Amino acid sequence: MYRRSFKDTRSSLGSPNPNFSKPMVALRFLRALSLVRRSGLGACSPSYRARGIRRAAYACMAASAGPRRAWSRALLRKIRRRPGRGLRRPRAVIWRHRPVGGGDRLEVALRRLVPGGGCMEYCRLLEEAADYVKCLAMQVRLMQTIVDSASHV
Amino acid sequence: MEPPRSSGVGIDNSGEYSPEIAETLRFEEEIQSLIHPSSFDGSAAPTGGGSFTALLGLPANQAVELLHDSGAREPLASRIRVGGHPVHRPFHLPLDCSSAFPSNATLVDRAARFSVFAAEGSPASSSGRLKAEPQDSDSPPLDPIPTGPAKRKDTGRSKCDVRLSLSFKSQAKATAKKSKNAEENTDGDKLPYVHVRARRGQATDNHSLAERARREKINVRMKLLQELVPGCSKITGTALVLDEIINHVQTLQRQVEFLSMRLAAVNPRIDFSSLDSYLSAECGPVTVRNGPGGVVVDPSLWPTDATAEATRRLLVPQFWHIDLVPPQLQPQQSLTTWERDGAAHSQLLPNPTTSLFLYDPANSGNANVPHLTAKLKTAEDRALNL
Repeated sequence: MYRRSFKDTRSSLGSPNPNFSKPMVALRFLRALSLVRRSGLGACSPSYRARGIRRAAYACMAASAGPRRAWSRALLRKIRRRPGRGLRRPRAVIWRHRPVGGGDRLEVALRRLVPGGGCMEYCRLLEEAADYVKCLAMQVRLMQTIVDSASHV
Repeated sequence: MEPPRSSGVGIDNSGEYSPEIAETLRFEEEIQSLIHPSSFDGSAAPTGGGSFTALLGLPANQAVELLHDSGAREPLASRIRVGGHPVHRPFHLPLDCSSAFPSNATLVDRAARFSVFAAEGSPASSSGRLKAEPQDSDSPPLDPIPTGPAKRKDTGRSKCDVRLSLSFKSQAKATAKKSKNAEENTDGDKLPYVHVRARRGQATDNHSLAERARREKINVRMKLLQELVPGCSKITGTALVLDEIINHVQTLQRQVEFLSMRLAAVNPRIDFSSLDSYLSAECGPVTVRNGPGGVVVDPSLWPTDATAEATRRLLVPQFWHIDLVPPQLQPQQSLTTWERDGAAHSQLLPNPTTSLFLYDPANSGNANVPHLTAKLKTAEDRALNL
């Protein structure tokens, strides 16, 4: 049911590359929310729904950031991997280049925070972190607006 | 026979000076022929197109100074340590210009940062040529700032000789370095062109240049991050800045989780489908505009207004549109949804509006849209009142 939401949003909105377009993110997010809501009217408990909404939020963020970003690809991969945990097809995944220098605990912490940060070099890590922070801030502002306007009325 | 070594710059090849000395002497003659007709101007930009001085991008007399130094190293060796003005020069060139010669390290640094090879003014044209000429190298910091007020020691000048001789050797490698920098330009589309310049007293071999380029890249990106994270620009020191960034990312992620919990609590009351159809109608023309040029339509202000107003406008007409719906439908649906949601909404029970919002829009979601678009104008007053 979540996969359906990704495909819908992606096909309908084309490929927006810059994440400066906040209405695009808003659109995707609202569509995803409506889909979440329609799927059994938010299953049993609010916590389950909350998790679904969080996944939808990250998915919209990653989808609107564009496939050119390493963190968005890694994030989408992580989200989609959840249903069906087993190894479907042993594909040659070469992307596990682990950069040496794990002594700096700050760097390690940053790698863990930014999605897909385990394999990049330090410069790329900083670059991706900057983009990730920008996107996250936009997503937080969007969600805050929605919650505010919803609870205001 | 090692005056350059005496100046303290590390060179590992000692046997290659003789061809270079011959070369410099040859150039020296060429430059002498150029110099003598022209006046001894401290700030004269290089005139000849293909001459050595043009290659260096120096005013002619400074180049001569250099060559004179390199040509006559031995007699200078004793004078280097003296530190005073070398008064034994046969050329009697004005020394203040040459004393200003390789600029302050700070100016070079700034030039490197703002991707300008030299200071503004006449040297700019020569530095343009500097870039184009393949024989130029990164190693000599030949920023011609002839009228700069910097004081100069003789050791610095001798170091520049050494770098000059080094430049002959490392030309090929320097071009490789330049091409690498050019590639970096296209790499990060948002990030500025990182120039690597060897400052005074810094090693100029390949590895250190590469390291320096990498360090400059990292510094540029750290600055970007610092600008993004609020409150980070005052902090000095990489570790603290990184700490702050990590804190900020964690805060944002926690906020997303918290807001999603709140949305989950609020969720059943909101009609999202009609809302997003309204937004898509509104944002359709916007996307067309934004497509080609990426012209941002006031990104921070406008969308928040759009979403806020959209939600408000749509929720309110829904309120009194539902009034018209036969009331017997409502209590059943409201009861069922409330049972599912449980105690989360118990505190909202006395509020009359919530019962109306629990009306499931899945049945009439699509039907609402034409009604809502027609009623938006009239509902505006109520939205504002509320």
